[in-house]
Amino acid sequence: MATHDEHETPPPAADDGNGNGTGTGDGYGDGALYGVLAEYDTPGELVDAARKVRDAGYTEFDCFSPFPVHGIDEAMGIKRTILPVLIFCGGFLGTIGGLFLEWWMNAHNWPWIVSGKPTWSIPANVPIGFETTILMSVFTSFFGMWILNKLPQVWHPFFRLDRFARVTDDAFLLGIEARDQRFDLEATKKLLADAGAIAIEPCYLEADPARRTMPKWILAFIVSSTAFALIPFAIAAKARNSTSTEPHLHIFPDMDFQPKYKSDTACDMFPDARCNRGELPGTIARGSLQADDTLYRGLADGQWTTGFPRQLDINEAFVRRGQNRFNIYCAPCHGYDGRGQGAVPQRLAASGASWSVRNLADPAATPAKMPNGQLFNTISNGFNTMMGYAQQLPHIDRWAIVAYVRALQRSYNATIDDVPADKRGNMPAPPMPAAPAAPSSSTPSTSPASPAPATPAPATGGAP
Amino acid sequence: MSLTKSLHPDEKYKAGKLGASLTKIGGGIAAVFLGVSLILGGTHGDGWKRFFHAYVIGWSYIFSILVGVLWLVILHHLARGRWATAVRRICEAMTGAFPLVFIAGLGFVIPVLAGYDNLYYWTHHDAHDAVLNHHLHHKLGWLSPEFFAVRYVIYGIGFTALASYFARKSREQDESGDPKISEQLRIASGPAMIVYALLTCMAAFDILMSFAPKWYSTIYGVNFWGSACVGGFAALALMVLGIQRTGRLTHSINAEHYHDIGKWMFAFTFFWAYTAFSQFMLQWYGNMPEETVWYKYRLFGEWQWVSIAMLVGFWAFPFVFLLSRWTKRIVPSLVFFAVWQLVFHWLDIYWNVMPQYDWQVTTIDKVALNAGPLMGDTALHHVGFSPVDVTVWIGLVGLLLAGIGRKLKGNLIPVKDPTLPLALAHENL
Repeated sequence: MATHDEHETPPPAADDGNGNGTGTGDGYGDGALYGVLAEYDTPGELVDAARKVRDAGYTEFDCFSPFPVHGIDEAMGIKRTILPVLIFCGGFLGTIGGLFLEWWMNAHNWPWIVSGKPTWSIPANVPIGFETTILMSVFTSFFGMWILNKLPQVWHPFFRLDRFARVTDDAFLLGIEARDQRFDLEATKKLLADAGAIAIEPCYLEADPARRTMPKWILAFIVSSTAFALIPFAIAAKARNSTSTEPHLHIFPDMDFQPKYKSDTACDMFPDARCNRGELPGTIARGSLQADDTLYRGLADGQWTTGFPRQLDINEAFVRRGQNRFNIYCAPCHGYDGRGQGAVPQRLAASGASWSVRNLADPAATPAKMPNGQLFNTISNGFNTMMGYAQQLPHIDRWAIVAYVRALQRSYNATIDDVPADKRGNMPAPPMPAAPAAPSSSTPSTSPASPAPATPAPATGGAP
Repeated sequence: MSLTKSLHPDEKYKAGKLGASLTKIGGGIAAVFLGVSLILGGTHGDGWKRFFHAYVIGWSYIFSILVGVLWLVILHHLARGRWATAVRRICEAMTGAFPLVFIAGLGFVIPVLAGYDNLYYWTHHDAHDAVLNHHLHHKLGWLSPEFFAVRYVIYGIGFTALASYFARKSREQDESGDPKISEQLRIASGPAMIVYALLTCMAAFDILMSFAPKWYSTIYGVNFWGSACVGGFAALALMVLGIQRTGRLTHSINAEHYHDIGKWMFAFTFFWAYTAFSQFMLQWYGNMPEETVWYKYRLFGEWQWVSIAMLVGFWAFPFVFLLSRWTKRIVPSLVFFAVWQLVFHWLDIYWNVMPQYDWQVTTIDKVALNAGPLMGDTALHHVGFSPVDVTVWIGLVGLLLAGIGRKLKGNLIPVKDPTLPLALAHENL
């Protein structure tokens, strides 16, 4: 900074800082006297010197150090900064502003329910309010510090002294300005020397008054770059408030204009100018031919089929697939066991509504008596309040569900005899039945004498 | 003006009979108030349930204060602190009370081990019912009285070892003046901080959070630690003032050191609120029954008033006033807030424990089972302050003072610590 005009100013006449502590150099003496700059060896000596200068009645002086020195403001007699008060106010405005922002956006201008919470709820707004508080406190703190310190000062008479360049490195400096009422060059120098200065030098202003302020080109650069930075905002503002006959500016034209048609766009290839083409009479889309009545509609010779379509291989994997789909699509209402006690009817019952769901598993109930084709049709097209699942489930999955429902019906009144003898050892301990399931009269009861290692013993207590 | 300062020649830095008299006073308080508490607890007519709840609250209170103070000791070494050297010996003396505190804690650990099942629900037979307590069932491997007692002993040994290591080495330096001891302590402080953090969190989970054994919160230990540090720094401020009132350390410790203690107290006041709100907001937002149940019994019914008191008293009021530099530098003002926060720190622990006091009995298959805390109508859960809550608290604080007094001997300031001259000249910007 201070080396800017080195080539024009004569070097310091006498003082280089290692003399007897009372440098008397009068270098740079080409303009009016600005003040005196003294260097001290340690921060502690600087603080002591500052106190002496203050006690001598000087007011127009300042201390310069590479780092904040404890106690310097008290020694210089500077009153405490009002910055903390400003920061408190800034932070408070941040809180209010953040909360107002959230109220305006989410509760007033565009009410939007998120996660079932009220549009205006304090707990959800606290984090944002907290962040804006911090943000505004930091802004006030940062910019307030610069403004209160009258920074940045890019042009100052002390910058003309080489010594001052060391203030960001290892120099502890005290400068007294000549405009101080008590200033007297010799007496002031003596005061600073008595306070232990290792070097003292006067500082003169530039001879040319035009060079005493910031060079015009720096100012011009700041102003012009600031103006330049505002151009995008100005363009955006103009575009928002005017109309234009010019086409849009396209930065990636090959992304914006792709060689394809989107639905509902115009197309001059056809007489009706539509790019959407409907089905042509007498044609059918690839994969859309559903000619097989049994496979797609559950019909055989115009009646509900009682078997399965001949294309399907009914094996364990197929039934497991049916179980998987059933548990996803059917169990919410019909329950995992198919008895009509799923989560939805349970919840409705808890709220007092009356709504019954068919028991799919009971062999005595209607669904068990339906032919396979009718079950398939019900899954596909719905029944009463149950909607059809043809959109969600491919036809093969619907047939798999039919197979699984048959398995559920088979297991409804199952006894240990239904389990193959070699699998009986693998059976987990049965859960307690959810509903009374009296053995149907048609099912032979197990012989009391039969060896049954996995036969459920009556539960001794508790309930699900 | 200088950056270092040596110990004032007239400074009284020897403890002398201070420790012995503090032990006497503290022991007297403990004997009287714990005796009264035994009478009150025995005549409460609830099988000592109230007494033991009050005892765990009071014990957690004195334990947490030491946790807070120990943190300053370890942090001071870890961060190469300067100012706290002036009060570090007092901190070391305070954390010297850890052994006595952990012996006092056996007062509830042994009954739990012996089968007392009115304190922690997880010790109750019905907590094992797989139907009634499906989720709790899986936690009972950890929450078993035997394993709980083992962990308690680990906490006791761990905290005692940490505290005594730093105190012993510091005393050694008083003799030898060897600056290498500072270096050793600095190296030890890193691992010590990790051990300290784990011990603190786990102790909070075991001793306080397990009052609500079905509840989930991973930040609970951090939140407890924040509260503990508020209590620790508040207690430290009062301790320093008490010692200065006896004419000791009057030159060494000044407004600058009080200011820094106050800054920490302020910081943790906010930190506590920050973690408490984090815990609350995530559970409120997630809205899952196993999490919100803890707040259900704090935000409705009588307890909502305690919750509001916590928000205003433990955070908003001290936060706004401790923001200012002067409320921390003017000693009577700092003392006011220290006492204030010590009371609310107790209320914090009370608020953490006592909503779980009322257990509900439920009937399954015509069998009456104790379903434990946080069940039933919120209107049935009462704040119900009882005299025994306060007498146990005061008695245990007396015990803490007695424990501190035992260690308050010799030099009250680390006279040969290389950083002491910097600490004595310490100034806040």
